[in-house]
Amino acid sequence: MFSGPPPPRSPLLLALLFSPLVLADDLFVDSQTLPQVLTATRLKQTPAEVPGSMTVLDSELISASGARDISELLRLVPGMMVGSINGNQPAVNYHGTNASEARRMQVLIDGRSVYRAGLATVDWSDIPVAMEDIDRIEVFRGPNTVSYGANALMAVINIITRHPADSHGTRLKITRGQRGINDFYASQGTGWDGGDLRLSLSGQEDDGFDSNRNGADYRDGRRLNRLSLAVSHDLNEGQSLDWQLNAKDGSNQRPYTYRPVFSGITDAGNNSDVVAKDYAGSVRWNLDINPEHSLYVQGSAQHWDRQQVWRACDAEVSFSPELAQLWQLNPNYTERLARNINQFTGPGAAPGTPQEMALANQVLEQWRNGASQTLCGDIDQSARESRYDLELQDTLSLSDSLRLVSGLNYRYDRADSETYFNGTLDDTTWRAFGQLEWRATEHWLLQGGAMFEDTQLIGSSLTPRFAVNYLINPRHGLRAVYSEAIRSPDMFENNVNWSYQVSNLRPSAYGQSSARYFVKTRGPGDLDQEHMRSRELGYNGYFAELGLAVDVKLFYDEITGMISEPLRNNQYIASNANSSRFRGSETQLDWRLSSADRLRLTYAFVDAEASNPLDQQFTSRNSGSAGWLRNWGHGWNSALFYYGDNALNGYRFERVDTRIAKRIAIGKAQLQLAGVLQQRLDHQPNTFVDNNYDERRVMYFSAELEF
Amino acid sequence: MRTGPSRKTPTLGHWLAGLCLFMTAWLHGVAVQAADILLTGAEESPGVQAFVQALSELRPTDNVRFQPLASLPAPGKLPASLRLILLDLPSLDWRLQDSQGPSTLVLRISRLQARQRFADAQPARLSLLWSDPPLSRQLQLIRRILPQARRVGVLFDEHGEFLIDELRAAARPLNLEIVSQRWDNIHDSRPLQAVLKGSDVLLGLDDPDLYNSQTAKNLLLSSYSRQVALIGPNIAFVRAGSLASTYSDQSDWLAILDHLLDQPTSAWPRTLYPARFKVSSNAQVARSLGIEPLNEASVASALAEGERRP
Repeated sequence: MFSGPPPPRSPLLLALLFSPLVLADDLFVDSQTLPQVLTATRLKQTPAEVPGSMTVLDSELISASGARDISELLRLVPGMMVGSINGNQPAVNYHGTNASEARRMQVLIDGRSVYRAGLATVDWSDIPVAMEDIDRIEVFRGPNTVSYGANALMAVINIITRHPADSHGTRLKITRGQRGINDFYASQGTGWDGGDLRLSLSGQEDDGFDSNRNGADYRDGRRLNRLSLAVSHDLNEGQSLDWQLNAKDGSNQRPYTYRPVFSGITDAGNNSDVVAKDYAGSVRWNLDINPEHSLYVQGSAQHWDRQQVWRACDAEVSFSPELAQLWQLNPNYTERLARNINQFTGPGAAPGTPQEMALANQVLEQWRNGASQTLCGDIDQSARESRYDLELQDTLSLSDSLRLVSGLNYRYDRADSETYFNGTLDDTTWRAFGQLEWRATEHWLLQGGAMFEDTQLIGSSLTPRFAVNYLINPRHGLRAVYSEAIRSPDMFENNVNWSYQVSNLRPSAYGQSSARYFVKTRGPGDLDQEHMRSRELGYNGYFAELGLAVDVKLFYDEITGMISEPLRNNQYIASNANSSRFRGSETQLDWRLSSADRLRLTYAFVDAEASNPLDQQFTSRNSGSAGWLRNWGHGWNSALFYYGDNALNGYRFERVDTRIAKRIAIGKAQLQLAGVLQQRLDHQPNTFVDNNYDERRVMYFSAELEF
Repeated sequence: MRTGPSRKTPTLGHWLAGLCLFMTAWLHGVAVQAADILLTGAEESPGVQAFVQALSELRPTDNVRFQPLASLPAPGKLPASLRLILLDLPSLDWRLQDSQGPSTLVLRISRLQARQRFADAQPARLSLLWSDPPLSRQLQLIRRILPQARRVGVLFDEHGEFLIDELRAAARPLNLEIVSQRWDNIHDSRPLQAVLKGSDVLLGLDDPDLYNSQTAKNLLLSSYSRQVALIGPNIAFVRAGSLASTYSDQSDWLAILDHLLDQPTSAWPRTLYPARFKVSSNAQVARSLGIEPLNEASVASALAEGERRP
């Protein structure tokens, strides 16, 4: 079409390949100088390249689910077992283990672990993050201590809040419904030259379950308020600073569960409610040294404050120094004596060692002389835990096919509790980790890494991880993963020093208004880490023409050295004696049938075998979810979800949730009205026998204004 | 009888007349062959020098020269036979002072910039050679590299609004839906969030008010975090993290100019999108979005083929 010699292309091509600066001479190409934003270090792997199984709950799914709690959202993750200890204590575990102690997952909020420092649990209901502030939740289904540190034993839940730059404007939302549901959310986001911030306030209230096994009112409601501030600054082209402050204050009702040890005691307290306060602050400094090299330093401080003071009643003899001494000698003997004391008052102490019998007889003497009278006093089961964490992570793209992520982490944990630790206990942890990603060819991706961890209380460990991904093409990959992971026993399991100093005793015990309850439990102090070996085969594919994303995985996981004794104050003898094994398969399917319809299915088959039957409780052999989201146009949206577990702690769970929402434009503002209906399909309690609702159906409505 | 001698012996007058005729013809020939081409711009940067040099090498018979804007008289005072090429907006503003003056080719001007300067009333004697990639070509690029994308998000401000209808018209035959969203305040990211929510791909208009070094980070990170690819607006953005764009570089423009300068100025088009172009893509971004690596040259030639046979 044009005459003249062809323009010399090759020098330009070379310039493009090797140095963008040379292009400055092209008058038509380089009118703008821009920093490279999506650099090799910022870009993420495609789902097919991930060295493991991943489920991402995006914001569309989160809002369509109508869920009021993070734990409820996790029902959308295949293999995730979601239950309730009570109305304000959700229990979540991947694949299973003990129902009341779900502590083998790592839970992070914007990179900060919210796994409690001392008591090694995640208080899902107390996490200081509002659902409305969550952008997405990435769940790594499988062990990954190399990337997320110890305790990422069975899975990692990474909660990512909306970036302040993505949350400009004002949002106001209220939710009201049955079962005392009363929530609010208010946020304000703004941006300026080089920075953005979001401030949000939120609150949540409900009554929890309605009735316990006896049909009586179940005391497990909650009431909480949260505040969160997220700020991000661009310091210059290659540096940015993000910081957050979060606070949560609230009260969680707990029923009075103390059962007097001694007979004839009828007085009782009426609750053991907890005032739960969580505070967290974090700062992250991001530095892009060049497009191939970046690092960040993140420091965070967290504080968990659980104030639990409740009134309990038992016989005066519970505070007998001789009984306490006897407990130290032989807890079984002591428990038999205490529970059946009236049988021994006549014949005297049961056979035992002379020392045991002498102490027992002294106790019986006290009992006969009036120590059988009822005393009531305050039990302080409060705990304060703090964590300071500093992490450096470096991402280096060595070449187009080789990427290295490495880092160092220092953590200081402290727990302070009269009841649990008889004072203060602390621990320091050092970690070093590295992971190499090598794109050997267009089709083969090899990833390997290791983490070294040393904790002051437990000792050191090294865990490796290897994965091979075969990419049929960039959107379809097969993977084989072998990984090892560890979980360090928490301070409670290993170092508990559990006893109750009861105050405000009325009448006084042996002339004292404050006295120590006879039961005292100590942790072994020499526990080792739990070890997991996990093997996985999987396929991940995205059929772009159909809009269909599929992930299938087969797994075989073993945990050895497992600490599975329940945390109870009578005769807690923790050991690494147990083991369990989980095998099965998981499937997840996310299908955008059209621009208006989205279909999502998950299914997990998990076969659990454990040396301690308690560790098999929290595994549902068959579980899954199905969801259909539709945009009807004219501002109408609907979502329909089914969740099912065939047996979780022995109870079936099946529920259908429907959410219908209408968006109305009012000038520049948007009003969204939504109604959620949850209908249980079974007649069983929820995970535990005391968790019952009067009605199988619940409804709640929300109104949200955005401007 | 009188004709005989005169036929045999030409007079001096005949010689002179012949010479004049020859000279006139020769001079005329030179005038057609050797045009006086003047390029101007506010400053003579190395890029400008390289371009002027390349153009003069391409047209050795023409008198190609650059003269800085400051040294030029009013456009009306320049000889009408001159072929004027403007390299930047200050020179365009200078040229617009005078409705008279030589025929002018305006380079490095976008649709938006032209619209801001003279709305629909384009002055005479000006040929505008668009620097921004044609919308239909960018849409064709989307069709080719993201065949499953249906909803194309577009951010615009008051300057770019006039392009939306044109974009819709170009999208219709391709079965693409334009999801347009006005973005007046770049410090407020809500419109960006809104458009990303409803789109499969984001098409960047070459509007420096919206797509600049200040907004690049937010635009690219926000769209990437939703796995929505950005197409366009220019090659600088592709290097920063946009998936791909069509563009025309110096070699393309030289070929186009060469063709135009071969023609009489009366044949110059009022406006022109370059028919010669290339495709640039960001391989790392493509890989991370799960897209097979693009063969830029073959995509460009397929697009060009499609334009020739619509």
